[in-house]
This record gives sequence, structure tokens and C-alpha cells, in this order.
Amino acid sequence: MHAHAAAGALTMSGPPDFAVINAGQLVRQATGGDIDAFEALVRRFQRQVYGFAVQHLRDVDEAQDLAQEIFVKLYRNLARFDSTRPFEPWFWKLAANTTINYRRKRVPATTDENLELRGEAAEQAQHDPTLVDALAQLDPAYRLPILLHYYADLSLEQVASSLGVTLPAVKSRLHRARALLRNSLAELDESNR
Amino acid sequence: MTDQPGDLACARARVLIEAYVDGDLARTDPDLAARMKVHLADCDDCRKQYQQAVSLPFRLKALRAPQPPPSLLTNVMHAVRPERGESRRAWALLIPEAALVAFIVWYLSGLDGLASVASGTVSDLQVLLNWGVGAAQPPSIPVADVFLLAALIALAITAAYHLAILSRLSAPTLREHRRA
Repeated sequence: MHAHAAAGALTMSGPPDFAVINAGQLVRQATGGDIDAFEALVRRFQRQVYGFAVQHLRDVDEAQDLAQEIFVKLYRNLARFDSTRPFEPWFWKLAANTTINYRRKRVPATTDENLELRGEAAEQAQHDPTLVDALAQLDPAYRLPILLHYYADLSLEQVASSLGVTLPAVKSRLHRARALLRNSLAELDESNR
Repeated sequence: MTDQPGDLACARARVLIEAYVDGDLARTDPDLAARMKVHLADCDDCRKQYQQAVSLPFRLKALRAPQPPPSLLTNVMHAVRPERGESRRAWALLIPEAALVAFIVWYLSGLDGLASVASGTVSDLQVLLNWGVGAAQPPSIPVADVFLLAALIALAITAAYHLAILSRLSAPTLREHRRA
């Protein structure tokens, strides 16, 4: 149904309705120099990418910087996208690599001071505050696969490809990460009583 | 809390919970999975941990994405648009260079003009050398040669300016556009 709608949007005269065009088609248009198609792509993924960055970095300013860097990197790498493959795994691999390099370059080791979110972002991100706190305590090496698999909804194979590790290594890391989260949740629940 | 219900220590059971929840344990070691089942039926604490482990993936998937600030989209588009605009401006800046080259080519009148300038330059250098050792009068410089020298200097400055622009375009800095 979506494919039919997208085809319809492309064959109609007048300005295209970007909302019904699939991401792969938007990338193709953006690669051909259609800046509006790229803007539509950013609009479509910005909430997910920003949320991913907020959950990973626990700092709204840094999260905005990272999200911006991910989209600019996407723009510069549009020509490398193989349009015969699905867009999202490729995009999230780029996002994961950018995140890993971003942490190496800019973000110091997690401290209590930068665990705070502010304003609206804090309210929206903290609808499950115990889990958000537990995630914040998790080592970034465990937090990244957790966010890619459960938050960005990548398959295990795609997470493995994004992080450049084997499938068993990803499974093992996710099991370990969930066990650590489970222990943190138990401790936080205990301390909240 | 019992220590080893189902012939499995709690510490061992806790390590296996995620593999048990995902079904990996049943695939790789069905006997151990069966002992886990017995253990969880008998141990309240481990059962609570198991329930936590079962709900955790759903809670992670349900984490809400905060609304990004409007400046995110603005800054991204600001960061990518100048690349095209500046490229066009760089090409436009080639116009004065092209005009200078056309002037020089016109002035030199092709290869004959070039040969004439070369021989004139050698002759001027000889006069300068003789003047330097006190064997001749100071050389007189034709006005047209002064124009040519000025054009060459202008060309060199313009080319250097364009190289600086091109080097910035090849390595754009994100920070410049970050918090516009």
C-alpha cells in the first residue's frame, strides 16, 4: 500500500509529497541534488536520531551536536548508498560509526554532572525514569548495542554489522547489557522503596 | 530464598536468565533450560529477576524519543546548503582570473609575443647587471611592462585567495554551523 502511494506521488505533476515517498527514493532524489528531498529525510529521522543521541549521551547539547553530525555525514555519504538495499540499516550503521567516533573525540567519561537532562527533553525521556537512570549507568560499550537493537530496531545481524563484530559477540554483549540493566533496576527499585 | 532449588545455584541461574528468556538456552542446552524452569518455579527472588528480564526488552522498545529542537533541522540544512552555494561562488570568482589571463594572452600576442618578452627580459637583466656594477645608466622600464607586472601580481593574489576558499570547501568545519 505504501509502495503504491509512493509511486502515485512520483507520477503526479506538481511538487512531490515527501511524506509518502520511501526513504530509499528520498535518498536517490537527494543524491541527484534535490535538497528538499534531503530535508524531508532529516525530518523523517530527526526524532529517532535525536532520541538515540539523548539516550546515549545523556546531554541535550551534545545530543544535538551528535544528531547534526550524523545528518551532515549522511549528506556527504549519500552517493555511497546502494539503492538496491534497504536504507535504514545502512543509515544506522553510519549513525553508529559516527557515534563511536564522536565519543572518542568529544565526550569525556561519564560523570554524575553530565547525566542530567533538562527541560522538555528530560520530561519526554523520563517517562520510565528508573530505566533511563539504569541506562545512564551502563557502560557505553553496552549501551550502544542496546539502543541500536531495541531503540533503533535494528536486527541482531545489522547491529553486528554496524559495530563491526560477530553475531555471537553481539548476542553476548546484549545478554550482558541486559543483565547489568536488570541488576541496576533491582538496585534502583530497592533504593526507591 | 532457597540456595539451590531445581539443583541450580541462584548465582548460576541469574547468569543464565537472558539466554533463557531469548530461548538460546533451550536450543543450546535443553537439560539446563529444564533445570532453570524448575529453579524459577521454586525461587521467588530469581523469578522476580526473570520477570524483570522478560519485561526489559519491551520497556526499552517503549522508551519515548524526545522532540528534537527546531534548531536541529535548521542547523543541518544550514551546514549542507553552503557547500553548494560556496562552490558556485568559487566558480564565479574565476571570472576575474579568466579576464586577467585573456589580457595577458592578448598582450603577449601568442608565442611571438612570449619570445619577445623573454628576449626583452634577458636584455633588461643585462642592463640591470651592468647598472649594478656601474658600467651603464639605470634601465628605462616600458609602461606596458609595468601593466603586465601588475596583472601578474593581481593574478597571483586572486589565485591564492581562490586556493584558500577551495581548501575551506574541501574540509568544511561543522562547528561553524553548529549553533547558528
